[in-house]
Amino acid sequence: MKSTADERAAMRDVICNLLRSEASESHVRATMATRSGYDATLWKKLGTLGIIGMLIDPEHGGSGLGPIELELIMEETGSALLCSPLLSSGVLAASLLMSSKNRAVQQRLLPSIADGTKLATVAMTDDRGYWTEAGIGVHAHQVKDRLRLNGVASYVLYGEVSDVFLVVARTSDGLGLYEVTKDDSRFELAPLSMFDQTLRSARLRFADTPARLIEPIDWASVQKSLDVALIARAGEQVGGTRRIFDMTIAYCKTRFQFGRPIGSFQAMKHWAADLLIDVESSISAARYAADRMANQIDQSQEALYLAAFACSDAYTKVSAAAIQMHGGIGFTWEHPAHLYARRARAYAQLFGSPSYYREQYLRQLGA
Amino acid sequence: MMMRDDAEDDTAALRKEVRAWLEANWDGSLPPDQDRWNLSPATKAWLVKVFEAGWAVPTWPADWYGRGMTEQRADLIAEEFHQVGAPGARQDRSNFIVRTIYHHADPGLKRKMIPALLKREKGICLLYSEPSAGSDLAGIRTRADIGGTGYLINGQKVWTSGAAFADYALLLARTDWDATKHAGLTIFLFPMRQAGVEVKPLRQITDENHFNEVFLTNARVEATQILGGLNNGWRVLQAALAYERTALGDQSRAARHSAISDDLIGLAQQYGRLSDNALRQELAGVIALGKLHALNGARARELRDNNEPSPLVSLGKLAMSRVLHEEARIRTSIVGVETLLCGPDHPLADDANFLAFNAYFTSIGGGTDQIQRNIISERILGLPREPDPDRNIPFRQTRSG
Repeated sequence: MKSTADERAAMRDVICNLLRSEASESHVRATMATRSGYDATLWKKLGTLGIIGMLIDPEHGGSGLGPIELELIMEETGSALLCSPLLSSGVLAASLLMSSKNRAVQQRLLPSIADGTKLATVAMTDDRGYWTEAGIGVHAHQVKDRLRLNGVASYVLYGEVSDVFLVVARTSDGLGLYEVTKDDSRFELAPLSMFDQTLRSARLRFADTPARLIEPIDWASVQKSLDVALIARAGEQVGGTRRIFDMTIAYCKTRFQFGRPIGSFQAMKHWAADLLIDVESSISAARYAADRMANQIDQSQEALYLAAFACSDAYTKVSAAAIQMHGGIGFTWEHPAHLYARRARAYAQLFGSPSYYREQYLRQLGA
Repeated sequence: MMMRDDAEDDTAALRKEVRAWLEANWDGSLPPDQDRWNLSPATKAWLVKVFEAGWAVPTWPADWYGRGMTEQRADLIAEEFHQVGAPGARQDRSNFIVRTIYHHADPGLKRKMIPALLKREKGICLLYSEPSAGSDLAGIRTRADIGGTGYLINGQKVWTSGAAFADYALLLARTDWDATKHAGLTIFLFPMRQAGVEVKPLRQITDENHFNEVFLTNARVEATQILGGLNNGWRVLQAALAYERTALGDQSRAARHSAISDDLIGLAQQYGRLSDNALRQELAGVIALGKLHALNGARARELRDNNEPSPLVSLGKLAMSRVLHEEARIRTSIVGVETLLCGPDHPLADDANFLAFNAYFTSIGGGTDQIQRNIISERILGLPREPDPDRNIPFRQTRSG
């Protein structure tokens, strides 16, 4: 489904209003301190609004939206620093299942992912965190008549609260996509302590863990879902970048030193002007990448890689500058600048680093 | 849905019309001009054709030599001209001097000046900056004193490109010394070909001389040549500078050796540097800067077409200056030791050296990067001005040096 500009504006309003009232900074701080790391009540509302199921076909209970709408919605969640498994369940797991050829699994899992009653997540990289085929650390093999998984999957987003794990594993003749449920108790799950407390992830260790084969899969299909997740990541990065930038500019107008607003000093003004170019460039990059993917135009991969590092770099740079520009108050836990800087640092590594994507971009350009 | 199809048909029809016209009229190239200001007769003849076809200023109404088009449709025309390398279209955006005259001169002056300028029958230059008024442009000290039916002009201007080929200039002069700094300024459409105007070429760091110093000694201009009203010069100038920033944000100057491609990847390959991972990282970053600048430009046009406000337009010049400096830097790093050398035997080194120095054309000309950052932070971000001790006192009492 393609939405119109008006529909998109309305969509933005709905989510923006919801998050303003229910994902305020104090709410984010309360949620990030909980064990689960998300607010089940708000999650349910996101399900009702069709946001969790945004990428899932209506026939499976979703809203059937595409990359353009995804990017837009994620700008809002990123701006609020929403603590939720949206990226793992609603984006990565949902898009991996959406491209599956296994109808039975789709019918069984997608509706409950869409309405939020089940949380799904993807396990695809080992401790090295490559998010490439080389980074897969789980092996599947047949033991008598049963399938078993062995190995390690790390950085599994919201692993501790997830019901369903989609595990990408090596087989004797390629890759397979496997389903492991929480109730299959024969795997170890260790929550990882996260520098970004608004985010959760876990390390899974499989030891002859029973699993169901969803289907044999090639890396290209996994990559496609990862690409969708990169659009979502770019959206959240852009939203966060803009929010912390706006907050910083507002502070520059109200904080007085030497009898004048600090924003009247050229040291601050010039810095802010330079940062604005990064802010605006990252918005352009994220939206362009989403547009290319939605319209399946040439160079969509090039656009995606550009967004992948431009939005990461901009968020890291702007949120780091925000701490410095706030001065002392920016160094305190009570000020939100560090929350944005933590998220920026986390997202710059999650799914692949800026230098990795710079290299991918250059390769797309033929170098 | 219907409307959208109509719009698409319309777009296709316009493209078809422009292409057909170019096919019928454009020979594929023009003999080279001496420089941007000294055009060959063939180029001038071409510009007349473009003007007469209404492509020169498509957004202006038909009785002002245009076609009454939206900016969006006019951009299509520019694209089609650009595709085949034909100059002269869409001067309602690129020709910031004519744009200033169109928006600020009275109808009589417009009739007299605009066709001649668009066809380049007449040349025009800018007399803004002075040796002691660069970034602080409102501090100019060239005087315009009432004399006869007009004004007597005395002072010294600098950074004037094309002065030797100009018939007119946009002249910024002080008409009231008791008013505050910004309030006593007037812009004149000043005739250049007269006694009392002396043009001296200025040698640039690129070893070119596009710019001149202009000495004005008892030169004359009629009161009818005032643009936008007496003592209203600062306002007119703000508009003129904004048009100039837009134009400068759109354009970058090509390498001196035009046969050499802008392709940085090709250059790195040629120098065997594509296996250098540190360089690859930098290369990707620099290419991305250029691409992001283009994407910002595209988004700015889209927002403009939807009448949505956007800071993007004002960022263009500053962003472009970063692109040009960074491209020149990595070009230098690729070419390496050969940049010790120059001249036609070392075209790639020559390009790297030229572009590294020429990047200052954009980062200083038309308002330095530092002034751009002031403008962006004040007008877009709403940050307060620095205290300005001479802003509110009669100009006579201000210090300069």
